[in-house]
Amino acid sequence: MSGAAIVGVIANPASGRDIRRLVAGASVFGNADKAGMVFRLLAGLGAAGVERVLMLPAADGLSVTLRRHLHARETVAAFATAGPFPELEELDVELEGTARDSAVAVERMVEAGVRAIAVLGGDGTHRVVARSCGDVPICALSTGTNNAFPEMRETTVAGIATGLVATGRAGDGALRREAALQVELADRATDLALVDVAVTRERFIGARALWRPDDVSELFVTFASPSAVGLSAVAGALQPLERGGGRGLHVRFAHEPAAAARTVHVALAPGLIVGVGVAEHRVLQLGEAVELPPGAGTIALDGEREIERRAGGSATVRLVPGPLTIDVDAVMRSSAGVAAPAQPAPG
Amino acid sequence: MSAVAPPAAGDITREQVLDAYRTMRTIREFEERLHREFATGDIPGFVHLYAGEEAIAAGVIGHLRPDDYVASTHRGHGHAIAKGCDVKGMMAEIYGKKTGICHGKGGSMHIADLDQGMLGANGIVGGGPPLVCGVGLKAKVTGTDQVAVSFTGDGGSNQGTFLEALNLASAWHLACVFVVENNGYAEATSSRFHQAGVDVAKRADGFGMPGIVVDGFDFFAVREAAGEAIARARSGGGPTLLECKVGRYYGHFEGDQQTYRGPNEVEELRRDRDCLASFARRVTDAGLAEQSDLDEIDSAIARLVDEAVDEAKAAPDPTPDDVLSDVYVAY
Repeated sequence: MSGAAIVGVIANPASGRDIRRLVAGASVFGNADKAGMVFRLLAGLGAAGVERVLMLPAADGLSVTLRRHLHARETVAAFATAGPFPELEELDVELEGTARDSAVAVERMVEAGVRAIAVLGGDGTHRVVARSCGDVPICALSTGTNNAFPEMRETTVAGIATGLVATGRAGDGALRREAALQVELADRATDLALVDVAVTRERFIGARALWRPDDVSELFVTFASPSAVGLSAVAGALQPLERGGGRGLHVRFAHEPAAAARTVHVALAPGLIVGVGVAEHRVLQLGEAVELPPGAGTIALDGEREIERRAGGSATVRLVPGPLTIDVDAVMRSSAGVAAPAQPAPG
Repeated sequence: MSAVAPPAAGDITREQVLDAYRTMRTIREFEERLHREFATGDIPGFVHLYAGEEAIAAGVIGHLRPDDYVASTHRGHGHAIAKGCDVKGMMAEIYGKKTGICHGKGGSMHIADLDQGMLGANGIVGGGPPLVCGVGLKAKVTGTDQVAVSFTGDGGSNQGTFLEALNLASAWHLACVFVVENNGYAEATSSRFHQAGVDVAKRADGFGMPGIVVDGFDFFAVREAAGEAIARARSGGGPTLLECKVGRYYGHFEGDQQTYRGPNEVEELRRDRDCLASFARRVTDAGLAEQSDLDEIDSAIARLVDEAVDEAKAAPDPTPDDVLSDVYVAY
C-alpha cells in the first residue's frame, strides 16, 4: 500500500430508541459512552500507524464529548506517555439526522480512499454502510444490546486491528466476506439485510422493531449463531452456520403446535425469551433465490419491519455476497504485538 | 406458539380503522376550516392549528378509556376531538360563544371537558405534564387503573415543568405517559437551535423510564408504541416517554408568516407526509376498508364542521353576568 493510511469512522448518535426499550428492556450506550468508544478506537488506530481519520460529525453531544476527550489528551499530563493519535477530520456533510447522513459520509470516505471504515451503531447503521462501502472493509462495532451483525467489543483492540488492516500489516484471514440477503420485489427497489429477513403476517410496519414472533412465517439468515440475540438465534438453535461461510439458512415457522417439528427457545430481544415452533429448515447456498409465498404482510430486515407487502405481488429473497468485515480476533491472533507504528511520536 | 407470551399483539379491526380515520379526518377538517375562518377576523384570540399531526392524537388517545385523562397543549384541538369533546361545542368555544364547551370563556387555548377526561388545552408551554402527575397520583391513591397522558411539544420539553413531571411520575411510579409531539419548532425556533440532543426521548434515561421514538406521521407506528406504553402504565408498570417526530402544516399560530421555515417545507410535508393519505392508502391496500367507506366519512365530517361553524356564528355571546359564574369550584 502507498500513501497515508486513512480510516473512516461512522458513529451513529441516534441509534436504539425503538419499542424494544419498552417491551423488552433493551438498552443502548449513551452518546458520552460512544464518544469514549471513538476516543479509544482512535488510540488503537494511532498505535497501529493510522495517520488520518475521517469521521461523520455526530450530533447529540457525541462529537462535542469526543473533542473534549481529545483536548484533555493534549493538555492532561497523564496522557503524555500515550502513543500517537491520528489526525481527526470531520467531514463537511450537512446533517439531516437520517440514515442518509451515514450513506453520504461513506461515499465521501470511499472517494477519499479510506482503507477501512469502523462503524459504531446497530444492525441498521451497518446495513446503510454496507450498501455504500463497496469492498472497503468494515470493522463492525455494536453500541447496544440488540444487535446481531456488529460485535460488542473493546474499541481500543478493534482500533488496533482496523489499523493493522489499513496499514497492510494484518495477516491472512483478516477479512471475512460476509453474506447478505437481497430482497427483490416487483414494485420497489431491491433491499438488503445483513443478518436476517423475516416474512410476517403483520400488516403494517408500525413501530418497526419485530418483537412478536407469532406472526413470523419465514426466516432467512446469512449465518446462524446460537448465542445471537434476535430472530437469527432461531436458526442458530437449529443448525449453527459460521459467518463468512457462504451458506445461509431458510426456516419455516409453524403456526399450529401440531405442525411444529420442534420448538426452540431463543432471546428474541434483550430480556425477551420466547419459544418458537419450527416446521422445517434447510441450507441456502450463495446465489440461491427463494420465491416467497404470496400474501399480504410485512418483510423485516435485520429485525425491523421495513416493507409493507401487498397481496399478490411477487417477492424473492436471494443469498448474495455481502461486505468485507474485519475479523478482529483473527487479526490479533496473527499480528498481536506488532501494533507499534513505524515511527513512534517523539516524547 | 410462544412459551412466554409477549404482550398483546393489538391487531386492528375494521371498526377501529374507521374510527381512527374518522378522528383524524375530523381534526383535519376542523383545523382547515378554522384556518379559513380565522382569516375573516370573526374569531377572537389566538388559534394554533394541529393539522399534520393528527396521527398522534388518534394513535395515542384511541387506546384511552373515557375515564382516562389527557392534558393538552396550546395546540389542543386534535387532542380534544380525539378524547371525545363535542365538535360543535368546541367550535362555539373558539368563537367565544355562550354555547361553547366552556361557555365561551376559554377559547381555543382553554378547551376542557372534565366529563370526557379532557383536562384542557393549556396556554402555558409545558403546562400539561405536571397536571397528569396530579391525576396520576389521584388514580394511585384511590386505587383505580386510570391512565393519564400529557402532550408537550419540543419547546415544552425544555421547560422545567416537563422535567420535574418526569421525575415525579417516575419517583411515584405513576400511570402516566408523556407524549412529546416534536414538530421541529419551538414557536419560531428550530429544534436544531433550542434542543440539546437529537432525541427528547433520551431524557427519559435520567429518570429511569423507557424513552422511545416513533414516526409521528405514521398512525400505525404511534398506535403500536402508545398501546404498549399505555398498557404498561395501566398494569402498574410506571411511566413512559414517547417522542413522536412530526411536522405542522401551519404556523405556530394563525397569522404566523413562518419566515423561519424552508421555502418548500410545508408543501413537501403536505405532499410526502400526510398521515391521512398514507393511512387511507394502506388500509385500502390491506383490504381493511373500501375507499367508499372513507369517502362517506369525509362527507359526514364536512357536513358536521359546516354545521358547527354555522351554529357557532349564530350562537349568542356570553353576557356580562356570565363573568361571575364558573369562578369557584366547590369540592
